[in-house]
Amino acid sequence: MSLVLQLIVYGIATGAIYALIALGYTMVYGIIELINFAHGDIFMIGSMVSIAIFNLLGINSDSHPTGWFLAVAMILSCVGAMLICAVLGVVIERIAYRPLRNAPRLAPLISAIGVSLILEDVGKLWKGNTYIPFPQIFPNITYKAGAISFSSINVFVLVVALLLMVALNWLITRTRIGRAMRAVAQDRDAAALMGVNVNRIISTTFFIGAALAGAAGFIYGLQYGSTIFTLGFNLGLVAFTAAVLGGIGNIVGAMVGGILIGIIEALATLIPPTVLPHGGSAWSRAILFGILILILIFRPAGLLGQQTPEKV
Amino acid sequence: MSIEHTSSGSPATGVVTDALLDLSVVTKQFGGLVAVKDVDLQIRPQEIVSVIGPNGAGKTTVFNLITGIYRPTFGDIRLEGKTLVGLSPDQIVKRGIARTFQNIRLFNNMTVLENVLVGQHTQLKATILGSLFKPPRVVREEAHARERALELLGFFGTALLERQEEYVINLSYADRRRVEIARALAANPKVLLLDEPTAGMNDTETLEAVKYIRRLRDELGLTILLIEHKLAVTMGMSDRIAVLDYGQKIAEGLPEDIRRNPKVIAAYLGTASSEETSEEATKSVE
Amino acid sequence: MSMRLLKFPDERETRLLFVKWLVALLIPVLAFTLWDGESILNNTLLTLFTGFTVEGVTTIGFVLSTVFVLIFYAVTFALAGYFLAADSGRRSMIELWIDVVIFTLVPMLLVILTTSLVVGLALCIVVWPIYFWVRKRVVAALHYAPPDPLDEVMELSPAQQDALKDRGRSGGFWFGTAFSLIWLVIDLVYLFSGGLPTPVLIFVILRTILFPVFGLLLGQLGGELALRRTLGALQKKADAKDKNAPAVDLESEIKSLSPTRAREEVKELVPNDQPMRSRGAQLFYLALLAAFVLLYPALDPLLFSFGTVGRISGFADAGYYVILALGLNIVVGFAGLLDLGYVAFFAIGAYTWALIGSGQFTVLTGLQVNPQVWPWLFWPVLILSACVAAFWGVLLGIPTLRLRGDYLAIVTLGFGEIIPIIFLQMDKYTNGTNGVVGIFSPHFPGINWTTFTPVPYYYLILALIVLLIFINLRLRDSRLGRAWIAIREDEIAAASSGINLANTKLFAFGAGAFFSGIAGAYHAAKVGNVTPDAFSYNDSIIYLAMVVIGGLGSIPGVIVGALVVYAVNQLILAQLDTMAADPSSVLHIVKVLAPTFTFDSIRNLIFGTILVTVMLFRPEGLIPSARRRRELHHVDQGQDVEVGSLDVPPGTPGFESEIRVE
Repeated sequence: MSLVLQLIVYGIATGAIYALIALGYTMVYGIIELINFAHGDIFMIGSMVSIAIFNLLGINSDSHPTGWFLAVAMILSCVGAMLICAVLGVVIERIAYRPLRNAPRLAPLISAIGVSLILEDVGKLWKGNTYIPFPQIFPNITYKAGAISFSSINVFVLVVALLLMVALNWLITRTRIGRAMRAVAQDRDAAALMGVNVNRIISTTFFIGAALAGAAGFIYGLQYGSTIFTLGFNLGLVAFTAAVLGGIGNIVGAMVGGILIGIIEALATLIPPTVLPHGGSAWSRAILFGILILILIFRPAGLLGQQTPEKV
Repeated sequence: MSIEHTSSGSPATGVVTDALLDLSVVTKQFGGLVAVKDVDLQIRPQEIVSVIGPNGAGKTTVFNLITGIYRPTFGDIRLEGKTLVGLSPDQIVKRGIARTFQNIRLFNNMTVLENVLVGQHTQLKATILGSLFKPPRVVREEAHARERALELLGFFGTALLERQEEYVINLSYADRRRVEIARALAANPKVLLLDEPTAGMNDTETLEAVKYIRRLRDELGLTILLIEHKLAVTMGMSDRIAVLDYGQKIAEGLPEDIRRNPKVIAAYLGTASSEETSEEATKSVE
Repeated sequence: MSMRLLKFPDERETRLLFVKWLVALLIPVLAFTLWDGESILNNTLLTLFTGFTVEGVTTIGFVLSTVFVLIFYAVTFALAGYFLAADSGRRSMIELWIDVVIFTLVPMLLVILTTSLVVGLALCIVVWPIYFWVRKRVVAALHYAPPDPLDEVMELSPAQQDALKDRGRSGGFWFGTAFSLIWLVIDLVYLFSGGLPTPVLIFVILRTILFPVFGLLLGQLGGELALRRTLGALQKKADAKDKNAPAVDLESEIKSLSPTRAREEVKELVPNDQPMRSRGAQLFYLALLAAFVLLYPALDPLLFSFGTVGRISGFADAGYYVILALGLNIVVGFAGLLDLGYVAFFAIGAYTWALIGSGQFTVLTGLQVNPQVWPWLFWPVLILSACVAAFWGVLLGIPTLRLRGDYLAIVTLGFGEIIPIIFLQMDKYTNGTNGVVGIFSPHFPGINWTTFTPVPYYYLILALIVLLIFINLRLRDSRLGRAWIAIREDEIAAASSGINLANTKLFAFGAGAFFSGIAGAYHAAKVGNVTPDAFSYNDSIIYLAMVVIGGLGSIPGVIVGALVVYAVNQLILAQLDTMAADPSSVLHIVKVLAPTFTFDSIRNLIFGTILVTVMLFRPEGLIPSARRRRELHHVDQGQDVEVGSLDVPPGTPGFESEIRVE
């Protein structure tokens, strides 16, 4: 039983990262109905940018900075990753998606796939095709609560993720920009008629979504200690599943979905080899896809989404 | 514009038996919204029946219910005595109901001829293997389908025939409407549902449309149910008219009676003016 | 046949026409002759009549190559007749000659320069769009307005038709004469400078006499083929086809069409402003291409001095890409179902033969396998693999039936990931990461067929491709094909026209999977082993790229797309790396500047850039179907189309084309 709880704890920590990435997917889909295939790769670039910023500050995998320097470095790395990813997201939207806004649905989808491939190779060219270590500079203290242990890194990751999600939620529900974003997501033409600069709002959405992905890259590196150019594709699909599970287009849904998927993924390792050859962990991708498929068949609106009736 | 009302000898309103298409207590609810409530309608063979009513009254929803795009929350729809409820749209086409859409849904990147050929889908029997090997039966079937498509286009005169190889998106609005009707006719229906067939047409085109709609009944023996906003058209062409408002049928009867029906006028114009305008409405439509 | 016909025409206009086309055709013909044609013919003669041999080339190889060269000449003679009969004469000589140089000389030059068929042709695909773009600019700058092709649409009187036929006949004759004379002069130079072997001398004499005759005969053929495409001839054909239907006057029909549509139809007619691009000429090009492809294994050693086996093996591999493209074309191109997991069915097909046609069968069933007999099973298992794959195509299609485009894509992507994982993890049956090895090649009487003999595989894949193109065409022009296009255009309208959406979509999945099952079984046999990591999401993207870059829904388009993508994926990058490693090549600079850089490592970068660029600038693909080009470049709206708020066209965000049937 304690194993289950332990796994759940791990799952929540991972799930928080999935949630941050899922937010980007869900926001973009909500506003322009495009599955941004490149989003996961932006997350990957974010993790690499974080490493690069650390390296610029003189920190590499065996450094042990402390005190103020540590705090400053962390902030710079995180914020730097977020900013660069945000700009990257906006640039991608301008070049590869905006011209295709009125094309048949297939075109921007393929363009997104193309951008994803480009980003993967950029990652590969930049940092090589093997795992790159992420400086493990956050003080790693293990806490115990009964039979369950978790580390300070887990806590940090969770805290950062939650803060960002809260900030996003505040932005969406309480600010003018957030209201404009929701309006464009519901009815683009009506929003335009109300004076909303649709192009700017869409760019803002990409900016925010990509920034969150950048942050996710940063905390992923802290938690798992390494990154690799294929990370984006792998995690991106998982995060997308989370977004769909929660209800695509629904911000809270993405958060809930992310955590849930993290937990499910962790618990899947419990499946013994007698049920699935090589045990549940070898099949985790297959299981996740299975979940995705089941959701899309039986409840395509996700857990928190609304069924929108079609007008004929 | 005046349209002659031809008496086609249809029986007076009243209790109807031998309905070809029979809607009884049809109700459709979307969550909390009741779009259509307790609609009863019987349509006899070779009648032209119009469904009118203000915007949002539920007319297209009724069409969608008949053609299987929506399933009634309650009530029954029968064609020739057999229920249509629960059938998918393509099955309903096979049973003998075809329709056109309010905003013309043609296959834009197909030619005129191809659109009508698609309409014949239910009338052709070629299977996937048959299409691959093309035995004489299939070859004959395709040739015959092509002939029939050309015949159907010819119903509207030579204009469409000449443009049979044109992509439909390049046609005029009126021509696209005709192609859509030809496509519906290709399914060999017993009942034809026309959703605002004269929408967007000017007076001349509307007159043309009325003529060919009448011919559809007179020459091809079709039963026609249509939604129409142009009251003059409806009055002039229909054997009977049913009026919907807020999803319910508020009146049904002969055009003359509907014209003067205060409930109908109120639904369109608002209750205050219902009495004054009933005479004006009568005059202006003559 | 009077001698009058053989006189060079004396009307100025006709004379200019003759000059125009004779020069135009002589350019590629002479280039080809001087490049390889002459040497092939001469060497064949020497091989046959003296003891001359060339290493690596058999007598049969020479003979077949000669056959190709003769076919090449024959086609050119016929084309001379065709062009002279079909040309309306309104376009200038210079324009035509530049076209000819760009489309025939440039490819030859590039292939020679890069010593690689694939890289050379790939460069052409880059050069040609640039040429078109430059041409467009020049035309605009010169304010040149090409004559309206519709002016030429008219019935030809019998006298006019005869005149055209004569022109064709005469043109063929004069072309043959000109060609043989020029060649004669060239050979006379050889004769006087070094002497010619006797067989060649005899050939030269025979040739100089016979070519004008062949020119005459083939030119007549060409001219007659041209005349089958006059308005009158087509009208007769149409009248015969629709005898029970109301007759339509073709001339007025064409004149009443919209400009873009009319231009499509006019390309078929004679007289034609640009006969080189007409549909009639395309048949000749296809014949030549077919001859080239069929005889390629014999030609290759004579065109390039080494590397034949590798190249043919490469083409035999590329073939399965073509089959995959044709199959995916049904799913994505015809039916509009975005399948991102197509690799799953390829894997299923491959594993079906792998598990049956190798030692793994013994592992699975305990039955011993006789290596002499077992390979015969390939033929029935080829069909079986296709059927198994089709079955799974239908099964995996069922969950997607109610999904919208992007969700459908994700679900198919999911299946594309799950299936290889299953093959990987069920290692009790599939041997896991190590995969299945020792897969048998097919047996065929009289042929030595192993993984190392590419030529039988080459012909097998050609046969399969031809068969599948045929199937593709039949399906496209059938009731089912129309239903697919209908559901792609507008699902609700399709269902309301009586099309069963579920069945039609499942048929599309099944048919597409059938094709990839065939490709899979073939691939397993050719490569001889199958591992799960050979099938990944990346591959599905590549297959999708083939179809999209080539031209969705267009059969020639996806074939070209497959070859282009294969070239980029497998050949070009490797070639570029080889060239960069060579210190004497231009590309070596790259290696100097960045020693660890390989072109192969940026494969995805290049692919991704190609995908984005194609979507931005030419979404209809390289060789689009007419439908698609029209769909993506709304050149002319109809005359009175009122696009009001009710008329939201499909493809724009507001259009809901999915049914939610309850």
